[in-house]
Amino acid sequence: MSVRHSLLAILAERPAHGYGLKSRFERDTAGIWPLNVGQVYTTLARLERDGLVVPRDDGGGARQEWRITKPGRAALAAWYDAPVAGDPPERDELAIKILLAVATRSADAGRILQNQRTATMRRLQEYTRHRREADPERELPWILLLDAFTLKAEAEIKWLDRCEARLGRRSG
Amino acid sequence: MSEVDGQAIEPQPPILSFEDAGRVHGTGPKAVRALGPVRIDVRAGEFVAVMGPSGSGKSTLLSLAGALDQPTDGTVRVQGWDLSTLSAGARAALRRRTIGFVFQDLNLLPGLTALENVALPLELDGCPLREAREEALGSLERVQMDRLAHRFPDDLSGGEQQRVAVARAFVGPRALMLADEPTGALDSVTGEMVMRLLRKQCDAGRTVVLVTHDASHASWADRVLFLKDGLVVDETRTPSASSTATPLPDA
Repeated sequence: MSVRHSLLAILAERPAHGYGLKSRFERDTAGIWPLNVGQVYTTLARLERDGLVVPRDDGGGARQEWRITKPGRAALAAWYDAPVAGDPPERDELAIKILLAVATRSADAGRILQNQRTATMRRLQEYTRHRREADPERELPWILLLDAFTLKAEAEIKWLDRCEARLGRRSG
Repeated sequence: MSEVDGQAIEPQPPILSFEDAGRVHGTGPKAVRALGPVRIDVRAGEFVAVMGPSGSGKSTLLSLAGALDQPTDGTVRVQGWDLSTLSAGARAALRRRTIGFVFQDLNLLPGLTALENVALPLELDGCPLREAREEALGSLERVQMDRLAHRFPDDLSGGEQQRVAVARAFVGPRALMLADEPTGALDSVTGEMVMRLLRKQCDAGRTVVLVTHDASHASWADRVLFLKDGLVVDETRTPSASSTATPLPDA
């Protein structure tokens, strides 16, 4: 996740101080990725070094406000314009676990698939419960995120089913 | 039996139970086991989803629960009645009065309005016309379809037809809905609306057993059963509302 660009995105709307950036980020992303304030200050220092933000003339210390520069806006626009690379995928522990269990016969792949499906189904049930309870007016970021998590969990279950079918065909 | 404030509380009997019930097709070396033996209890007000690959016994389970088929071993009970001891007529009556079916193709009769479709099971059961219509209207109201009660199925959207099918399944005293891939033909947003609707019916005390391939639909249920080769290999329950853990995707 790009903390740099997230901070630029918030500053593009209006200047803010470090703690304000932290709370605004967490609010807009449904509190799922907590930011520690130290990380915000380190990132601001780097952004300043690269000329993407500048401190506002008055103040100083923790109440120091920051504002985005013209190169900062350009960097932000470039980030938004670039689709997120999905390929090659990040190292996927579940896939590696299953591939190795199948290839090396060091574990019962069928059992791993079943355990994982139970766990993923439970996670999916939890997402659904949260969606049922979410207020569509006030909690839009949360609902959009839950949609993303739900679809990923659903895809994972489909993949586990498919692994099971392929392995069953091979042994049967 | 448990005790609350010194008073003995009889646990409610399950509305549907499979007591080591199973179904074998054919005999001898050619016998094929379609289901079981399985032990499953479904309580009134529960929403249970059944998942599993094709041929895992899902449809057999639904047919046995709906008294459309008989177990070759064990017992299937609906509202406490052992289905195998009932006469064919009594089974048919139980089916009409207690059990509603929803299939993917809905089976709404095109020549009847939404209201007439919903009232039909009651009329077939000998309920006076006026009373049947009143009950049907009430059932349509519970799925927010009373406004369109006089439309014919062809004049309704897929989602609306689905609502009518749900209303028919729960008309009058019918308390148990058996649904087989009821959202198959619907887009995902409409499918989710149907799940929300089923959830609401269960929260109001009705019972749903839903067979589905769709994990996200199954996740609306209180319990998800996984069938494989005719057996329940797994079961997950929705985490209780008191758990406050924030769900995080795998990072």
